[in-house]
Amino acid sequence: MMRAREAREGRLVDAALRCYPARWRRRHADEAAELAALLVRDGTPAASIAWSYLAGAAREWLAPRPGRSLSRVSAALLAAMCLLGFSAALVAETGPAKAAGTTQPPSGPVPLKVKPTPPSAGSGSPHQFTPCRLILPRQVTGAFPDAGRPRLSLQGAAHARSC
Amino acid sequence: MAPREQDVLRRVGEASVLILVSLADGPKHGYALIQDVKQFAGVELGPGTLYGALDRLERLGLIESLPADERRHPYRITAPGAAALRVHLDSLERVSAAGRLRLQLGGA
Repeated sequence: MMRAREAREGRLVDAALRCYPARWRRRHADEAAELAALLVRDGTPAASIAWSYLAGAAREWLAPRPGRSLSRVSAALLAAMCLLGFSAALVAETGPAKAAGTTQPPSGPVPLKVKPTPPSAGSGSPHQFTPCRLILPRQVTGAFPDAGRPRLSLQGAAHARSC
Repeated sequence: MAPREQDVLRRVGEASVLILVSLADGPKHGYALIQDVKQFAGVELGPGTLYGALDRLERLGLIESLPADERRHPYRITAPGAAALRVHLDSLERVSAAGRLRLQLGGA
């Protein structure tokens, strides 16, 4: 029972020590493990020792080193923040499009549905479509009568519609 | 007024100063340092804080590590470390004296 507890505490401290950079571990790991064992023997809780080592590991990673200048660390942090912001912006932008997409067909071009005009007196085929024809502005009587620009309209369709 | 020596310990943190004070009377390893600091200052240094401070002091050349005794590394204060500690303690003394004097004058 006692041995299992000691083993668990040892594992906890070892896990915290593994959070340090390899350079630090090569130099101090053995000594730090021995110090932890002595402190546990004195009655210091293993969790408190592990927490102290964890905080120390975080400081060790964040501290500027001769080969890793502060500006390089700052640049890396800035780049990470920019990437995060860019991703968040992308997600925010695709959100409404996805919401709107629920009322539309999932994919592929939307087929144009055109009602066949009733056969006129002179035409032979019942499904003959009238070609687009330019309509001058004054002839347009739709929602935007004074748009002031020529429109194309399907003559003979039930409603005059732009194409 | 004579120019004062630069106090390099002003920005290294309390733990580093306590470690230097502890090493002033001879080399010690980590566990002995923690016990000593607890005894003379009433401050319980965490092991993570201890190794951070030891690394910093060693980088500054204020302490040096001695050959390992089993798994323990004793640390020793260097001559620049002793000089820096002296300057820092002088500075603390001046601040302490000024504080006491002003408390007396102010009647607080």
